[in-house]
Amino acid sequence: MRKVFDTGNAAITEAAILAGLNFYSGYPITPATEIAENMSRRLPMAGGYYLQAEDETAAFHMAVGAAMGGMRAMTSTSGPGYVLYADPYGWAIGSEIPVVILNAQRVGPVSGITGAPGQGEFYLSRYPTHGGNFETIVLAPEGVRDAFELTIEAFRLAERFRTPVTVLADQLVTDGWEAFEVPEDAFELERLGLPLPKRKAHQGPDFYPRSDGIDIPPVVLGRGTGGACSDWTPTEEGYDTEEIEAQMKHSYRLIYKIRNNRQLIDRSVLTRMEDDPPVVLVSYGSPSRVVRKAVKEGRAKGLRVGAISLKSLWPFQDALFKKDKIHLVVELNHDGQLVREVQRASGGRVHFLGRCGELPTVSELLEIARSLFGGGRPRPIKNVREAW
Amino acid sequence: MDKLSEKYLRPKKIPSTACSGCGLGQVHKRVLLAMDELGLNVHDVVWGTGIGCAGRQTFNTWKGDNFAGTHGRVYALAAGLRMALPREKKIVLTVGDGDAFGIGLKHLLHCARRNLDMTVIVADNFGYQSTGGQFGLTTPPGSVTDSSPYGLGETGWLGPELDILEILKAAGATFLARHLSLDGKASVENVKRALLNPGFSLVHFIYPCLTHFGAVSLSERDKGKVITWFKGLFEPGAENPDLERLNRRVDPGFLKLKRGLYVDASGSRADYSQSLKDWTKNLNRDGPDPVGTGQGAKK
Amino acid sequence: MNSFRREILISGFGGQGVVLAGRSLGLAAVHGGLEATMLISHGTETRGGYVRSQLVISDGEIDSPVVERADVFLALSQAAYERFRGMALNGLTLYDSDLVEPTEGLTHQLALPARRIAIESLGTEQAANMVALGHIAKLLDFLPFDCLRQAVTELSKRGREVNLAALELGRSLELE
Repeated sequence: MRKVFDTGNAAITEAAILAGLNFYSGYPITPATEIAENMSRRLPMAGGYYLQAEDETAAFHMAVGAAMGGMRAMTSTSGPGYVLYADPYGWAIGSEIPVVILNAQRVGPVSGITGAPGQGEFYLSRYPTHGGNFETIVLAPEGVRDAFELTIEAFRLAERFRTPVTVLADQLVTDGWEAFEVPEDAFELERLGLPLPKRKAHQGPDFYPRSDGIDIPPVVLGRGTGGACSDWTPTEEGYDTEEIEAQMKHSYRLIYKIRNNRQLIDRSVLTRMEDDPPVVLVSYGSPSRVVRKAVKEGRAKGLRVGAISLKSLWPFQDALFKKDKIHLVVELNHDGQLVREVQRASGGRVHFLGRCGELPTVSELLEIARSLFGGGRPRPIKNVREAW
Repeated sequence: MDKLSEKYLRPKKIPSTACSGCGLGQVHKRVLLAMDELGLNVHDVVWGTGIGCAGRQTFNTWKGDNFAGTHGRVYALAAGLRMALPREKKIVLTVGDGDAFGIGLKHLLHCARRNLDMTVIVADNFGYQSTGGQFGLTTPPGSVTDSSPYGLGETGWLGPELDILEILKAAGATFLARHLSLDGKASVENVKRALLNPGFSLVHFIYPCLTHFGAVSLSERDKGKVITWFKGLFEPGAENPDLERLNRRVDPGFLKLKRGLYVDASGSRADYSQSLKDWTKNLNRDGPDPVGTGQGAKK
Repeated sequence: MNSFRREILISGFGGQGVVLAGRSLGLAAVHGGLEATMLISHGTETRGGYVRSQLVISDGEIDSPVVERADVFLALSQAAYERFRGMALNGLTLYDSDLVEPTEGLTHQLALPARRIAIESLGTEQAANMVALGHIAKLLDFLPFDCLRQAVTELSKRGREVNLAALELGRSLELE
């Protein structure tokens, strides 16, 4: 392995190329622009195509179009572009096209602060399009190394589940620098499961199976299979239908192929949970790094705290959260998004620490965690409130 | 089922669910005829459709690989698909006027700019008819529709002063033609040319909608008379007592559309998808880092 | 397990090479078999506002990449000095004496005439970051100087010789 010191943007680019990326389309946006720049430089060297689109809607449509033609395709953006993905996102979910999206979250709403980290698209990544009747797969890297690994994982999951996969990063992950290892020879590649298996094309005639099965090849056009992709509710063969029952079967497949295999998607990391601590800090993305340091320092000071760091957000891993715990959810937003889901899943006491544009500090996390022991409430220091 | 349908279309989709008297089937047939005359097979073409009457009625009628895109974005999907398909595979898109000239115009123009090899068949029924008959980007000024009950006041993309084909030409389209669905051989010939152009081609077919445009905007339910009016779009001088009555609400300046071949610059400009493929293939992979990041292009 | 974790904070204004200095240190750490993280943040516009590089170097996995208590703080502008001085109260603050008017009476701070040395000895202000970096490397006893030389060599597209000379000047500097 070759150890390099580079940004998340570079790690994502290299990982995607190692995963066999053939096609990237994007549109410049801070803080994901560097991925596009890196792709324009690196992807042609690997024989892939870089296309700069007229807007994000087009960028994602192009990636989906290339994937529909059998390529491994990806796009990247930040919040303002991610909302413009709504249209093709739903199309790719419904047509079951594997494609990877990277979102480097920044501070919102709207343009907000472009070069600072936020976590405002937790729910948007669950509902990235209209209409419901689907489940999404979303991975969340904590840092550069994760960004590298999870980008590869995203391509693997997209193919297995025949669906778009979002890698939900934040500005500190994409712009942040870290030492990480890049495989150099066939042996090292193999250890990472690379190269990924060649993409397969569904041979039909039933392109949309009546099952929640995975590892079924998606539709690929241009291979003469007679496959059809569309935004309409499909019959098994791909004809458009307005039959309620066909619609139900379609929805169930889209939902349960993911929900029934959620253990294959779970990437959560538990820290100091072995002795069942009463206070558990919950986070995803770059805050998890600070949380983990706080938990270790807290333990060293005799504070029985643990941490659940989520590296896969959707489908949500409800089973991780217990009612008898006191959860402190740490997020890079002020409105509280992950905290709602933790409260739903645990049904217990849940507290919230919201920061945006910068990470919380270890000392303030420890101060709040300490105040939660013995049934206490966090003292009303700034930006801390009890969640409902 | 005729021979052409048997060769190219899915039996499950025949007959179509279009309204009685709809001209869309004729447009569809012209395209199949052109393919047949060129000797194209089902596997030579990937067929895409948009949203609206044209998209819904032609979706998955094609025996081969096909897709229906999101409204107005089928061009961007096709742009990505173009990169994945080998040069010899053709992409044909059948879309409506709203899809191409309204919601999808931006993406359409960018496909023209890149001269991406695809043939766009715009089946134009003068408005949003599948949603019940609202005016669109090609509805004649003055028309009464469900969303212009006092008569359409704004200018669209179709007329002697403002013509969407001029815009597409300026955007770089290398083949453009306009026909009425009733046009026979001449229109088939132009679809053939469009299919043969290794770049962006668009054939604009105007076809009569009897259910909405005919019944509401022209206040005429007689198929023959509506068709006569449509013919008059291109032949304003034709003497027909019905025309004057049917035109009472429509701006007479509208009736001077040019019919037939508009632009044929086939092969004059490279298809960017092909240039990009060629460029990537021939890229010097041992060269210096192009932007000097210190990491080396090869890394 | 980590046996040490060092936090280094470098801040100045745009164009002073704050990011390159941080990258060089991070890459040097990697060459030395260590782990490193770096966060870059910009206050307001790129040029004129402050640029901050937060580096963490360790011999084990790095949890938080955030500098909360800097072991070394290099201040290359008055604004940076005033804004971040409080984060290095237990560490060492180095300030460029050409650019920073230090607060009187504080301990754990040293004047580092990086800009002056760069201009007088190398004829270019641009090398000031490397003079400072050379001196920081001397303070970070876990970082072999050769690793830093290697990193700077790799990252300097232009002015490689000047940068390496600047590193040496910084390293040989004795501050009091």
